[in-house]
Amino acid sequence: MKNATKSSISHKEAAYLLPLGAGFVMASSADLRAALGMGAAVILATFLSAVVISALRKIIPSRAHLPIYILIITGFVSLIDMMMQAYFPNVVNMLGVHLAALAVSAVPYRNAEDVAGENVETTTIKTALETGFLFTLIMVLCALIREVLGNASIWGVSIEFLKDYRVSALSGVFGGYLVLAIVFAVIRTIHDKTTTKKEGTD
Amino acid sequence: MKRTDLIKSIALLLVIVAVFSAAMFGLNIHTAPLIEANNASAKFGPLLAVLPEGASFDADALIYDAVAPEGSSLTDVPPSVTAVYREASGLGYAVRVTATSQYSSAPMEISLGVSAEGKIFNVQIDSYNDSEAFDFRAKDPEYLSTYVDKDSALTDVGTVAGSTYSSTAFKTAVEEAMNALIANSLIAEGVKSDDQLLMELLPTIFTGMSNNGMMQTEEIEASGNMLSGVKALNDSGFAYIMTEGDATLLVAVNAFGTGKVFDVEGNDVTDAHASLVEEAKAHADANQTSYEEPAVARFEKLMEGAANMQPLPLDTFSSVVAANSFQVGEDTYYGFCARSYGYDIMDVYVVLDASGAIVKTDAKKLFFDEEYFNVDDDVDQPAYKDSFTGLTQDTWTGDNALIAGATMTSNAMQQAVTDAFEAFQAVQNGGTVE
Repeated sequence: MKNATKSSISHKEAAYLLPLGAGFVMASSADLRAALGMGAAVILATFLSAVVISALRKIIPSRAHLPIYILIITGFVSLIDMMMQAYFPNVVNMLGVHLAALAVSAVPYRNAEDVAGENVETTTIKTALETGFLFTLIMVLCALIREVLGNASIWGVSIEFLKDYRVSALSGVFGGYLVLAIVFAVIRTIHDKTTTKKEGTD
Repeated sequence: MKRTDLIKSIALLLVIVAVFSAAMFGLNIHTAPLIEANNASAKFGPLLAVLPEGASFDADALIYDAVAPEGSSLTDVPPSVTAVYREASGLGYAVRVTATSQYSSAPMEISLGVSAEGKIFNVQIDSYNDSEAFDFRAKDPEYLSTYVDKDSALTDVGTVAGSTYSSTAFKTAVEEAMNALIANSLIAEGVKSDDQLLMELLPTIFTGMSNNGMMQTEEIEASGNMLSGVKALNDSGFAYIMTEGDATLLVAVNAFGTGKVFDVEGNDVTDAHASLVEEAKAHADANQTSYEEPAVARFEKLMEGAANMQPLPLDTFSSVVAANSFQVGEDTYYGFCARSYGYDIMDVYVVLDASGAIVKTDAKKLFFDEEYFNVDDDVDQPAYKDSFTGLTQDTWTGDNALIAGATMTSNAMQQAVTDAFEAFQAVQNGGTVE
C-alpha cells in the first residue's frame, strides 16, 4: 500500500485523478489568479481533511465513512471559503460557486479514501499535499495557456502586443475543455510511456 | 450495522458537527466584518470612485432603483438611469447610468458623481461595450476629465472625433443623469452659454451636418469675429459662432457658398448681419472642398449625351454638395450629389427630369466592406438603384431605400434621395427652399 501511495503522486495518479476534477479545473483555469486561488483551496482542503481523517480512521465505522468524510471535507471547505471571502474577495468572485462546490468534488473524497487506508501519517500528509499541488500545477498550466492566448493578459494585466492575436474561444467553456483535454492527453502519454518502459525493465 | 457502530457513528457525526460549528463561529467573529466591508466595497466601489475621498453611503443611500421605481419618490427618471444614491453626509449624489450607441454590443455602464451644488465630481465607465475601434477613451484619454467640475450645461464638453456615436451616447447619458437630478430638485440646473444654445440649434438648421440628430463635424480654428467654428465631415458646409456687438450668433455656410445667420432663438437674422455672412463665406470659400468636378463626371457617365452642364446655386443646408442642370438632346435634367451618412460617408448621385421624377440613382460605393458581410453579394445593386426610377417627391415614401440587414446604408440612401428632392424643389423656386 505504501508503495502504491508513493507511486500515485506521479503522472500515473494525475492521469487517474484529472477526470475527477475536470469540472473545477476547467472553471478555475480561465485566469491565473483564480487558478492559484482554487489551487490553494484544494491544497488546504485535501491536506486538512487528510490529517483529520487519518487521525480518526481507527474510530470511523467502515459503513459510516462516506457521511463522515463528506462532513469533514465540507467543514474545511466552508472554513476556507470564509477565509477567502475575507482576505481574497476578488478571487472568490472569479471562482463563484465552484469554490463551494469543491466540498462535493471527487478529488478530496478520493484522497480521503486513499489516506484512510494508510497507516503512516507522514505518507498520508505527503499524499494529500502532492494531490493538491498536482492539481494546482495543472490549473496554473491551463490558466497560463487560456489567459495569455485567450485573453491576451497575465495576472489581469493586458499584454498589448497579443491583443490582436488572441483566441477568445480559449477563455470560454469550449476553450477550457480543449486546453484541459490537451493537458490530459500529454499526461496520459507520459504515463503510458513510463508504464511501458517500466514493464519492459521488469 | 451493529448497534455499537450505529451509536459510534452518530456520536462521531455529532462531534464533527459540533467542532466545525465552533470553528465556523470563531472564524465568523473575525471574518464577518471583513466580508461585510468587502461586499460594501464591491457594491459601492465604482460609486465611491466618482465621489471625493471620505464619502460614504448609509443603509438609505439608494433613493432610486430602476428595478423597483415604484419604491422611489423620484419621478421623470429616464430609462438610462438605473440607480441614484445619496451620499451619507450630504456631499451629493452618485448615479449609475447606461449609454447605448449603434456600435453597442450591450449598454455602456457609467458611474457619475455630482455635488449637491450640481457640479460633476467625477465620471467613469464601469463597463465599456462599444466597438473597440471607436473607443473614445483611447482616442482621447483626457475626454472624461473634461466633465469634471461642470454643471448640467456641460460647457465646453464636446464629443470625440472618430468616435462620434460612442462619445455622443456617453455625453447624452451624462446629460440624462443630470436631468434626472434636476427634475427632482436634487441639484440646480446649469445655465447654458449662448454659443452652446446656438450649437444645439445646428442639427435642426443644418441637417446635412448631422446624422440622426448627432453632429458630424470637426472643429476648425477660429479667426476674426469667430468664437469657434465647425466643418461638416461630409463637406456639406461650415458653421461658426460669431459675435457682432453684444450679440452672439450662429452663421452657417453651405457647400454652395450660401450663408445664413441665426440668433439664439433660432430666428433667421441674416439681413441684419451681412458683414458676418461675408466674413464666414470668405473663410468657407478658402476651405471648402468642391465636388463639382466628380459630380459632373458621374452625371455624364449616367446620362449618355449629357451636355451644357450648369452649376446650380442652392440655399439648402442638407447633405447635397453639388448640383447641376444639363441637357440630353432637348430635355433638361437636374443632377444632385449628396454626401449622406451610412456606415461611412456615402456619395449618392440622383438625376431628376424636368418634372421632378428620378431618372437615375447611383452611389460611388453602396456598401462598405467592414459593414455587411453578405449584403454586398446578396443585393442586386443595379436593380436596387433602378427601383428609385420614376419616383417623385409626392410618391417618395422612403421605403424604396430599405435593404434588409443594411440599416445604415438604407438610412443614408433615404436621406440622400430626400435631400435631392428638396434641392430640386429649391431649384424650381430659384434656388430657395420654400
